Amino acid sequence: MSLFFIVALPFLGALLPGVMNAAGRAACAGVTFVVTLMAFVGLLTNLPAVLAGQVVTARIDWMPQLGLNFTLMLDGLGFFFAFLILGIGLLIIAYGRHYLSRNDNMGEFFTYLLLFQGAMVGIVLSDNILLLLVFWELTSLSSFLLIGYWKHLPEGRQGARMALAVTGMGGLAMIGGLMMLGQIAGSYELSVILQNREAIQADPLYTPALLLILLGCFTKSAQFPFHFWLPHAMAAPTPVSAYLHSATMVKAGIFLMARLWPVLSGTPEWFVIVTTAGLVTMVLGAVIALFKHDLKALLAFSTVSHLGLITMLLGTGTAFGVFAAVFHILNHATFKAALFMSAGIVDHEAKTRDIRQLGGLRHLMPVTFVIATIAALSMAGIPLLNGFLSKEMMLEATTKTVLFDIWWLVPALATFGSLMSAAYCFRFIGHTFLGPRRDDYPAQPHDPNPGMWMPPAILVVLVIVIGIAPALAEPFVKLVTNAVLGTAAEVPDKHIKIWHGLIPALYMSIVAIIGGLFVMAVFKPLLRFWESRARPEAKPMFEGFVEGIAVIARFVTHRLHNGAFTRYAMIGFVTIVAAGYHAWVTGTVGDATRAMQQVGPVPIAGWAMLVAATCGLVILHRNRFLALMMIGIVGLMVSVGFVYFSAPDLAMTQFTVEVVTIILLLLALNFLPKGTPIESTPLRRVRDASVAIIGGLATFALAFHYMLRDAVTTPISEFHLANSYKGGGGTNVVNVILVDFRGFDTYGEIIVLGIAALLIYALTETLLDGPVRRKLLNRVPDQPRAGDMHPMMMVVLTRVTMPVVLLVGFYIFLRGHNEPGGGFISGLIVSIAVVMQYMASGFHWASDRLRYPYHGVIGAGVLIAGLTGIGSWFVTKPFLTSDFTYVRIPPFNEFELATAALFDLGVFLAVVGAVMLSLESFSRLARRANVEDSEYPMDIDPSRDDPPDARADAPTGGG
Amino acid sequence: MSADLNIILPEIFLSIFAMLGLVVGAYGGKDKLAALFVWVTSAVLVATAAWIGFQGAGTGRAFGGMFVDDGFARFAKVTILLAGAAILLMSESYMARRDLLRFEYPLLIVLAIVGMMVMVSAGDLIALYMGLELQSLALYVVAALRRDSVKSTEAGLKYFVLGALSSGLLLYGASLVYGFAGTTLFAGIIEAAEGETPLGLLFGLAFICAGLAFKISAAPFHMWTPDVYEGSPTPVTAFFATAPKVAAMGLFARVVHDAFGGVIGDWQQILAVLSVASMFLGAIAAIGQTNIKRLMAYSSIAHMGYALMGLAAGTAQGVEAMLIYMAIYVTMNIGTFAFILSMEKDGAPVVEINALSLYSKREPMKALAMLVLLFSLAGVPPLVGFFAKYSVLLAAVDAGLAWLAILGVVASVIGAFYYLRIVYLMYFGADESELDTGGSGILWGFLIASAAAMVFGVVNLFGVEGAAAAAAAALVN
Repeated sequence: MSLFFIVALPFLGALLPGVMNAAGRAACAGVTFVVTLMAFVGLLTNLPAVLAGQVVTARIDWMPQLGLNFTLMLDGLGFFFAFLILGIGLLIIAYGRHYLSRNDNMGEFFTYLLLFQGAMVGIVLSDNILLLLVFWELTSLSSFLLIGYWKHLPEGRQGARMALAVTGMGGLAMIGGLMMLGQIAGSYELSVILQNREAIQADPLYTPALLLILLGCFTKSAQFPFHFWLPHAMAAPTPVSAYLHSATMVKAGIFLMARLWPVLSGTPEWFVIVTTAGLVTMVLGAVIALFKHDLKALLAFSTVSHLGLITMLLGTGTAFGVFAAVFHILNHATFKAALFMSAGIVDHEAKTRDIRQLGGLRHLMPVTFVIATIAALSMAGIPLLNGFLSKEMMLEATTKTVLFDIWWLVPALATFGSLMSAAYCFRFIGHTFLGPRRDDYPAQPHDPNPGMWMPPAILVVLVIVIGIAPALAEPFVKLVTNAVLGTAAEVPDKHIKIWHGLIPALYMSIVAIIGGLFVMAVFKPLLRFWESRARPEAKPMFEGFVEGIAVIARFVTHRLHNGAFTRYAMIGFVTIVAAGYHAWVTGTVGDATRAMQQVGPVPIAGWAMLVAATCGLVILHRNRFLALMMIGIVGLMVSVGFVYFSAPDLAMTQFTVEVVTIILLLLALNFLPKGTPIESTPLRRVRDASVAIIGGLATFALAFHYMLRDAVTTPISEFHLANSYKGGGGTNVVNVILVDFRGFDTYGEIIVLGIAALLIYALTETLLDGPVRRKLLNRVPDQPRAGDMHPMMMVVLTRVTMPVVLLVGFYIFLRGHNEPGGGFISGLIVSIAVVMQYMASGFHWASDRLRYPYHGVIGAGVLIAGLTGIGSWFVTKPFLTSDFTYVRIPPFNEFELATAALFDLGVFLAVVGAVMLSLESFSRLARRANVEDSEYPMDIDPSRDDPPDARADAPTGGG
Repeated sequence: MSADLNIILPEIFLSIFAMLGLVVGAYGGKDKLAALFVWVTSAVLVATAAWIGFQGAGTGRAFGGMFVDDGFARFAKVTILLAGAAILLMSESYMARRDLLRFEYPLLIVLAIVGMMVMVSAGDLIALYMGLELQSLALYVVAALRRDSVKSTEAGLKYFVLGALSSGLLLYGASLVYGFAGTTLFAGIIEAAEGETPLGLLFGLAFICAGLAFKISAAPFHMWTPDVYEGSPTPVTAFFATAPKVAAMGLFARVVHDAFGGVIGDWQQILAVLSVASMFLGAIAAIGQTNIKRLMAYSSIAHMGYALMGLAAGTAQGVEAMLIYMAIYVTMNIGTFAFILSMEKDGAPVVEINALSLYSKREPMKALAMLVLLFSLAGVPPLVGFFAKYSVLLAAVDAGLAWLAILGVVASVIGAFYYLRIVYLMYFGADESELDTGGSGILWGFLIASAAAMVFGVVNLFGVEGAAAAAAAALVN
């Protein structure tokens, strides 16, 4: 049968039990049995080819780009494991049908079981290691569902969680390992990888790959230090324990180690890690098993111990070790599954698994007694049973294994492990079946129906047959060993025999058995000793570990994400500075191409003022009014800097913008507290200051670096200098750019400006309807106001200067095209002139005299600019193409007329409107704030005849 | 000119749709129209996705190369549009029941999506910035959509200030690059950026990367993410977790390959560091979370780390892996957020993870779907999430970044923990969940569809791979 069918059958069959749940328990179990049997028979049809030494393959491309293909192969090793999985699966299904109670959902159980079975078969038949990985994790998933099948048991929940966490994460780690393995070998097919022993072991990625793969194997096969999850997973129904946790899933790690043995083994890393882990696991598992009272826990730790044994054998890296390992896998699968099923029978019939409540069962359950005893004796290593054979081979192998340069270490520990192993086997038999009959069993035990005892009985028959006539199993074991070894080593020329002569292993065996009997004799004091000692328990350690991670995580989160914006900003800034530093260090720092300029005293003075004002701002920022003045100085100095660097347009713009924004800020300050409270600790301020200083220095260094070097490509300014007059008819490049070259941008900008102003208007208007209005009305200024809000001097002065300022604005506007100036700047200048009227004479007075609404001014500006642009369509030019000509209208000299000037007019109007509208909107907030604005421009007007009373505490009006 | 306009026709169409919608909404029924708008908008987005998706092959350049319409852009746009449509549909009932459904909401989403479309098509620093800001401004607003909630407004404000900061950084970097290269066109920058990288360019590159890292919330520029995810209304969070991430990632890929394709070694290290930091921070910090929205924030940080790993490879294979990753990530997140949106107790939203205790008893189907999604998010084979993770790891290893891949594997092991914890709670929690059963059919549909995609996608990833490969080939050449 094709390998695809063997793998697919359990998956397809998994649908049936679920669907047939209503048809009854027998039907569910029956269909599951048939499906498994079909796969099993299908596997057997491939036996001749495998025996002939062929490798059966099957292939479908899946995602070849990723290296993932559905390729399967069947060789001796794969056949061996598939045989175990399907064969024991058949027995388990038969057993489980009788084991599960009427309340359990059969269909669900068998669906999960088949899923699991399919995944396991998939693992052992995969040729592609990624495919193997897929099946690997599928077993984690399906076993999670199986372990948690009895959801009502709390320990079941814990066990499921641990099993999932440990094996799932191990599997994820293995992704990395297998990927690197494939990367080194250049292929993800095992058949290719296994041929590349030298290349893989020489590669620098070998060690990380090995570690990650072993992480996956160790977690799956419950090797130290990941051995703790397996016993806790035993809360699952016994068929699950027997199948997953002794015969199949936990062997997956062993399988993978065996599969990759030819390419991974033989290095010191492999030897030390694998042998040590195996040895520790073996001894530790055996010791703990001895003192467990729960039958299944005892068996679980014994499983851990035996898995350690196999791992250790694989770790030795010798062909003989592999030979012994393969043989022990077979033997362990037979006797351990039988033992689990026996324990399940006891549990099922006596309703308890606590060994302290049992004893004397041999009279009540003779059949179970015989089966369990033979299996346990085999596990203890009693001659004429299969466990003896492989155990002796193991002991023989240890005599040749030297770890950490101590020759006796491995043999001694192995003997000790065997001793404890024999002891717990004896305890299992003695305390469960032997001894006097009791009358306080939770239920009256008796042998179950044959459906339950037949499956273990079949296994026990195998135990005896192999034990007496090992020659029957030898060819098969050698075939599998050969498949494991691949081309890396030859199958050892040894035979499995009951009697090897008086070799060291024999003495070690004898010591182990006699020692085991001795331990049983002194078991009671030993147990008291054991229980009086505090032992590291795996479960609390796991919980503690989990909790510890959570604590770390919480620490990280709370330290980093405490919600404080300043911290977020700080982390960002520090990172950027660090990145900049990294760039500085790794980048190529070219030589300076420009010399430093001479610096006269005036620039230095300006620079000093700038720095002083900035520092003053930082120091004085808690007094907001002072801070505002400092900001003013900074802005002023920047404007001066622009002048110094021959950028008059920028300077003018900066200057006017500065004035307008300061007025705006003053307006806002009116409603805010006058000081900023201190909220941060001095330490934090020092921290923030250092971050700021470092950031500032870094920016300085960057700027300095740039200014000493020429731009790599020709700056765009060359183009504008050359074309400004030719194309735009103006010699002021800045203005020509604004109104001509980038006229379209400017047009967009004035629209945006207008929209922004309208939005401010709309927002303040909405605000004044809401709760803010009430607040403003009830607001009591925290300081007495100046008595003279609208001083006469200022009123007079602003009125006198107004025409002058307007004229300046007009002049700036006109000269804009050729000299510094333009619509934007003149718009700001005119705005300042008007704002001064508001400030000096009061909002009321000023707005009364306003003839044109600002909305309209903005609209007119945009309209004029737009129409100018459209005008060029009439001469079939694109939108906003400008033109200019020279005219002479007496008595003037010849002068230039440009369409750009019209456009600039639009800009001018839009700027005036936008600035005024936003200022007006803000000041309206103030005007409604419980203030009676005077309708007169001056508080003290000599021409008016009003009594100067109640002026001292008159509240302020609009700015 | 008209040829240029033809190329950006989908963007123009969506912009006009959004603006018309605003006018109709403002002068029509206002929020009464909101539900209708959501449905119409979703339909429009899906239609636009189909339009772009079936537009055919080839590369079109508009406005002198400032706007590029190639396979890469189309792939990203289709993902963005479909994700946006899905999230909109999912949000309708949730927002309506909490009186959050404003008619502006779908339209803001459309505007953000237009911004994203410009981002992934940007062939010029100016276009890049324009798209980014259009997107960001719309997102700032939707983050603070729940105006009367302190958390939501705080989230919006934080997002805005930090976002503005990052935009400033990006601009600074862009101007440095311009100062060096003398052009803002990517095609021009790539000619200037060749061979040994001068310092000026390196600084520009570093700043641009920092700005973009903020947008994809890569550590250490991720700080806003948990707060914003938690504070925003859940549908908005779902949106944040999907479409903008794709767009920012696409933009990132564009910048590094189109503009700096000649100096891969220089940005590779930046991206690799960002990637490692994100993966580990996301994985570790998520463990301590009790709020599922914050958890998803950290989860998204970690996932961005993996996507960045693909990008850090600096190869076409890496870009392809990144695109696959993003497409799969978005699909998973849509399903997960459909589930989170349906978490309610007595009609009020619940975000506590502990509330999911023994959820499988109450809603076995939903719990199973969520199990699949969580396993997929953790990258457990054979679910589709595994292929996502695997592709980026493979790309990194193939590009000689094995150390990065190993760290990625380690981080994924740590990260698996918190996904598995939710699974554990749902199946074996201590006390019975009291969450409401039933709920919106739309959410149920998205949840199941997303989970099903994670399972059945393993056959051929629905052909995403081929499309991603073509897209990557268009970008990297």
